[in-house]
Amino acid sequence: MSIKRMIIGGIVVVILAVAAYAWYQYNRTVQGLQDVRADYSVNATALINEFVSNEDSANKKYLNRIVAVKGMVKDIESGEGAGTIVLGDTTNMSGVRCVLDSSAHAKTASLQRGALITVKGAITGFSKDETGLLGSDVQLNRCVITD
Amino acid sequence: MNHRIRKGIISLSFFLITASLSAQEKYFTKSGSISFVSKGNIETIQASHRSVTCVLDSKTGAVQFAVLMKGFEFKKALMQEHFNENYVESDKYPKAEFRGQIVNNNDIAYAKDGEYKAHVKGKLTMHGQTRDVETDGKINVKNGKLLTNAVFTILMSDYNISIPNLVKENMSNTVTITVNCTLDPLKS
Repeated sequence: MSIKRMIIGGIVVVILAVAAYAWYQYNRTVQGLQDVRADYSVNATALINEFVSNEDSANKKYLNRIVAVKGMVKDIESGEGAGTIVLGDTTNMSGVRCVLDSSAHAKTASLQRGALITVKGAITGFSKDETGLLGSDVQLNRCVITD
Repeated sequence: MNHRIRKGIISLSFFLITASLSAQEKYFTKSGSISFVSKGNIETIQASHRSVTCVLDSKTGAVQFAVLMKGFEFKKALMQEHFNENYVESDKYPKAEFRGQIVNNNDIAYAKDGEYKAHVKGKLTMHGQTRDVETDGKINVKNGKLLTNAVFTILMSDYNISIPNLVKENMSNTVTITVNCTLDPLKS
């Protein structure tokens, strides 16, 4: 009798655990990157060059990774949400476009063009310019300013 | 001889002037937004993207949009993972692209503020598939900028994106896509 009860009890516990886990997974929000360690640390211009010279191998290396990018602030675009910071060399049209996480909003107010900063974000890919007019960009989202 | 050189200079400077005037004919953005919504019986799937590249040639009416699939942001992490891994397979197909044409381009006075209807026709490439897309959008000319807006629907099955049988009942095959881009004149 008590064995039967233990088995039933065990099954109930397992079902509850699975349900709780499923519920947790279902409602899990995208994680903020503030406390996540970067997989790579790299300079903005070096990162752009890696993608320009070989997009495929750079994609293999960086896609789905968290990267800390150090570079000069080329442009600050306020827009929907927290806006975008563009890092890179002003003499070149290409840049690293960092879409900011909503948590990074406060820090952008004091930010100025030409400042040297480090931004941590998730690499979403390389937008190659075929027109020759716009410059090619490495794109990141969920970005936070770390330094 | 002298006369001919002068004539050459005149026609050359005329050419340069018209070239610099027509430099304003292209408009672009790198921070356009695209969002999509798919309303199923149980599950509503929605996401937005804030780094859409768009180029519009006001002379020919040619428009081009490019987007990196991994840049779509979802509220729910699991949805974002499933979208990338199981549905659009963004590792394999990292980009989506639209190339098209404003059919009624002559109706749009790009130099004059106002709201214009734009009938857009073109090809959307996503998940390795290319399909014809057609929709009515709006172009609002304001202080030299173009505020563009368009809404259209696609079917996931058209792009070989299959919904697993387990969740087929809960999800919709129809996706409504909204495009909002503010285009600046391209200075060259």
